[in-house]
Amino acid sequence: MGAYFDLMGFADGGWGIDMLRATAITLAVALCGFGLGSLFGMASAAASLSPIPSLRYLADGYTTVLRGVPDLLVIYLFYFGGSAVITQLGHLFGAEGFVSAPVFLTGAMAIGVVSGAYQAEVFRGAVLALSRGEIEAAKAYGMGSFLRFRRIILPQAARFAIPGLGNVWQLVLKESALISVVGLVELMRQAQIGAGSTRKPFTFFLTAGVLYLLISLVSGAAFRAAEARAMRGIRRVS
Amino acid sequence: MNLFDIPFLAESFLALCRGIPLTLQLTVLSVSSGALLAILLASFRLSGNQVLDGIARGYIFVFRGTPLLVQLYIIYYGLSQFPELRKSFAWPFLREPYWCASLALCLNTAAYSAEIIRGGVLAVPLGQIEAARAYGMGRLTLLRRIIAPQALRLMLPAYSNELILVVKSTALASTITMMEVTGIAAKLISASYRPVEIFVCAGAIYLLLNFFITRVIRLVEHRLSRDQRPLVVATGEQA
Amino acid sequence: MTDHIRIPAVEIARLEKCYGTLKVLHDISLKAQPGEVISILGASGSGKSTLLRCVNMLEVPNAGTVSIFGEAYRLDQRPDQPARVIDRRQLQRLRSQATMVFQSFNLWSHLTILENLIEAPVHVQGRERKACIAEAEALLERVGIADKRHAYPAHLSGGQQQRAAIARALAMHPKIMLFDEPTSALDPELVAEVLKVMRDLAAEGRTMLVVTHEMGFARDVSSRVVFLHKGYIEEDGTPADVFTHPRSERFRQFISTHAH
Repeated sequence: MGAYFDLMGFADGGWGIDMLRATAITLAVALCGFGLGSLFGMASAAASLSPIPSLRYLADGYTTVLRGVPDLLVIYLFYFGGSAVITQLGHLFGAEGFVSAPVFLTGAMAIGVVSGAYQAEVFRGAVLALSRGEIEAAKAYGMGSFLRFRRIILPQAARFAIPGLGNVWQLVLKESALISVVGLVELMRQAQIGAGSTRKPFTFFLTAGVLYLLISLVSGAAFRAAEARAMRGIRRVS
Repeated sequence: MNLFDIPFLAESFLALCRGIPLTLQLTVLSVSSGALLAILLASFRLSGNQVLDGIARGYIFVFRGTPLLVQLYIIYYGLSQFPELRKSFAWPFLREPYWCASLALCLNTAAYSAEIIRGGVLAVPLGQIEAARAYGMGRLTLLRRIIAPQALRLMLPAYSNELILVVKSTALASTITMMEVTGIAAKLISASYRPVEIFVCAGAIYLLLNFFITRVIRLVEHRLSRDQRPLVVATGEQA
Repeated sequence: MTDHIRIPAVEIARLEKCYGTLKVLHDISLKAQPGEVISILGASGSGKSTLLRCVNMLEVPNAGTVSIFGEAYRLDQRPDQPARVIDRRQLQRLRSQATMVFQSFNLWSHLTILENLIEAPVHVQGRERKACIAEAEALLERVGIADKRHAYPAHLSGGQQQRAAIARALAMHPKIMLFDEPTSALDPELVAEVLKVMRDLAAEGRTMLVVTHEMGFARDVSSRVVFLHKGYIEEDGTPADVFTHPRSERFRQFISTHAH
């Protein structure tokens, strides 16, 4: 046990600081990806509810494809695709050889695009769950479209969306581990580096697992708190 | 990048198809073993016994709260840290990426499936369970004749989602040298530097697999829902 | 002529039931002789459903005994623990003698009506399938829904489902029939068809315990009326006695608010 803390500690020769720094990178890329995903998701949800058929098909296609294809493939697409583009640009400017795209950026974009598909479904479901009666009342009281959206639809949809978004966040956290495959030094990659260096893969991966669990626990609690606040004054029909 | 280079697309598609058997094998193996484990876990959760419930909840928490990649690496790379394991009878299996991947996928899907099964069982209308008990049905008969048939139908939508997730998760096996569809895709991309075309081909394969699975589940669901559909009398009119 | 002591079909002695700190039944004692039709009346929350559910142990009383034809359920009624049944075999045996008809019918939705009727006779009583099917068809004929035998519960109206549920109860050859507000969930037009079946059963001499709001049934068909208020029995007597000379003021009020 003492040996463990020597290994993972914060003293010289301890991997503690590196692991924590990597955890911060994990959180950062996950947050950026989730944020991007929210933008894509809202746009897609809006499109899927639009009266224009081609927009609906686009949104449907987006969510179907990106929820049906492995995340790893999407990550490869953005990383190698981005690198190919940058390499071409580099050649234009006289650079030679292969230029790789920044891993953090492409990773976040890949996560953004995939989680966007899931978030789109959550937002769509939330809007559809709204009580028609309340929207009708808003119309009857003369509220214009934008006002309705801002004061009635948005707050209520937010309430319904929180549990679903909590699930998507957990998905995003786990997806971030996949970016290690293209080289981003987040928690997974750092654990691999440590494992390779000390020949103690079990120790390092177990530690990584525990760290992921901790983040997951704290996130879960945060989302439940947000849900409780959003549901103030609403009587739960059990 | 040229999306209309049909010869290249066709060639890549065929190359990728060679990975389908492995993808399917991993899926079937992990889903079937995972389902058995899931039934065990769900029964722990529903048993009313605090200890069993706690064990199941702990298992589910760990396997749902950590990335599959971590679980995979612990099994494939991590277990080699222990000399006792290297000498055991299980080592020939645990050394092979095929079995490591299957094991990791099995353990992972069991956690999610257990909750789906539990959800299905809890969704069976309480009144019907009460009637069965009032008629003197013992626990086992009740489970076999009333709960299981209905729970099965109720959990199919959620389970079909889980099946699709397992198919996608087989892609992770490529990180430990397995040449299923994604593994071949990675190889093709680094050889040709045409990620978009390869992505389109590989993506199409996965989408086709998903489509197939969804259709099959929907068929099963249809078969199991005779009691919910409107009655069609022999003359062809609706009752 | 020997004046033998008749064993009551159901004997409830000093029954008490609590949910946490809330006491729902206080010192209830009741005897039902074979062939009696007892209507149990009361407002919501009076404990009448709980009382009925104690007869087949869907609720387990915290104190007191319940006996079916002289055999008492073996119970664990220690003070600081939830009350429970000790002997599961006895429980299953006694339960199959006292079948129940529920307010929300509770037909098994994945089985056809015919399959619903033979399910318990075949799998609980171990009777022969062919014989059960023949009998089930006769019962369905009797309650008037023979043509629905291969339909699923979801395809039947409320009244038809409840009649099927009664047939299902009869298929068990019960010595006692328990009815928990059998018509409360039905549209008014459908109540009559179910009451008719119940009247026929009463006329046959069946032992029935009926929790109901139907005053007509209580007055015209039952041999005895019991009125519960907040977990106490306030009236217990023949319809003639109880309705013409009620002793309890609350029962008087109850009759007037529920008069048809």
